[in-house]
Amino acid sequence: MAKDATGVPYSVYWRTWAFLLTLTLVMVILDQAAVPRPVLVLVLLTAMLVKAALIAGTFMHLSQEKLSLALAVVAALLLTGAVLFLLIAPDGLRLLQMKN
Amino acid sequence: MSSLQPGGSSRGLHHADRPHAGGRGSVGKEVTVAEGVSREAASRWGGGVSPVGVSWNKLMMWLFIITDGLLFAGFLAAYGFARLASAAWPDRLEVFHLWFISAMTFVLISSSATMATAVGAARRKEGQLVSQMTFATLVGGTIFLAMQAYEWTTLIHEGARLHSNPWGVPQFANYFFIITGFHGTHVLTGIVILAVVAARALRGRLSAEGVELAGLYWHFVDLVWVFIFTLFYLI
Repeated sequence: MAKDATGVPYSVYWRTWAFLLTLTLVMVILDQAAVPRPVLVLVLLTAMLVKAALIAGTFMHLSQEKLSLALAVVAALLLTGAVLFLLIAPDGLRLLQMKN
Repeated sequence: MSSLQPGGSSRGLHHADRPHAGGRGSVGKEVTVAEGVSREAASRWGGGVSPVGVSWNKLMMWLFIITDGLLFAGFLAAYGFARLASAAWPDRLEVFHLWFISAMTFVLISSSATMATAVGAARRKEGQLVSQMTFATLVGGTIFLAMQAYEWTTLIHEGARLHSNPWGVPQFANYFFIITGFHGTHVLTGIVILAVVAARALRGRLSAEGVELAGLYWHFVDLVWVFIFTLFYLI
């Protein structure tokens, strides 16, 4: 049978919800403010990963699963996606240079 | 030799599992317990239990989530590539109604919270709460989809097509429609799944695991939206 998550009170989910919404609000306000672009991108990406970790860890109970499962999900998704982008990013920049 | 545990020796995960492995000079766990099966292998990899500690159904749902997530990772990586290769990209504040999209995000995150509550309620066997929360999630998803449809209609009226758009970069609208379109389809599928779950919950024919698996799918849809919202609408 699946691993039991009965120990989690409902309030945990709603406190996470409140935090996620606050974070989203901050992201949207920041996005329209006069923030230097590199700073904005860094802050937004960090906030995005925090939101993702909260949803996966709390809502999907990944924080309560065995480490091997959590690592498998994180490595397969996040790491693969990041590596994929990082591998093709230089070509994108080179394409931009070639066009100019 | 023939009285080995069938689960352990047929998997081939550890050399030490096989009785003749020692003869081939294999590297790995030392054979300790009787009949060529190490103690650790027997307990975790010896068969009969899930090594990652979840049921088969749940593991399969996670594997599905990983593969479906890789689909979106591919789309978003391609989108990132296109942006790097573009000298200019439409100003998001001019194209999108950011507060409207933020409201959509609010709706979807709220629906995730109601779904998590439904999963918890299912484990506590609170049938009515399960039905209510699942229905609330369903409503949230439908509202999200309706808002997305409105956003699409607005952009299409302004001239956005798959092959062109009025904002200077030909493939911009293409990326928008493909990425949000695939996400919207996932939301629609989730709504169908939730409708089935809600209907079965009302008839008392639902297992806690069924709700949990539907919950995993719905949270995955929300998770993807977190990435799309940030990478496409905000950055």
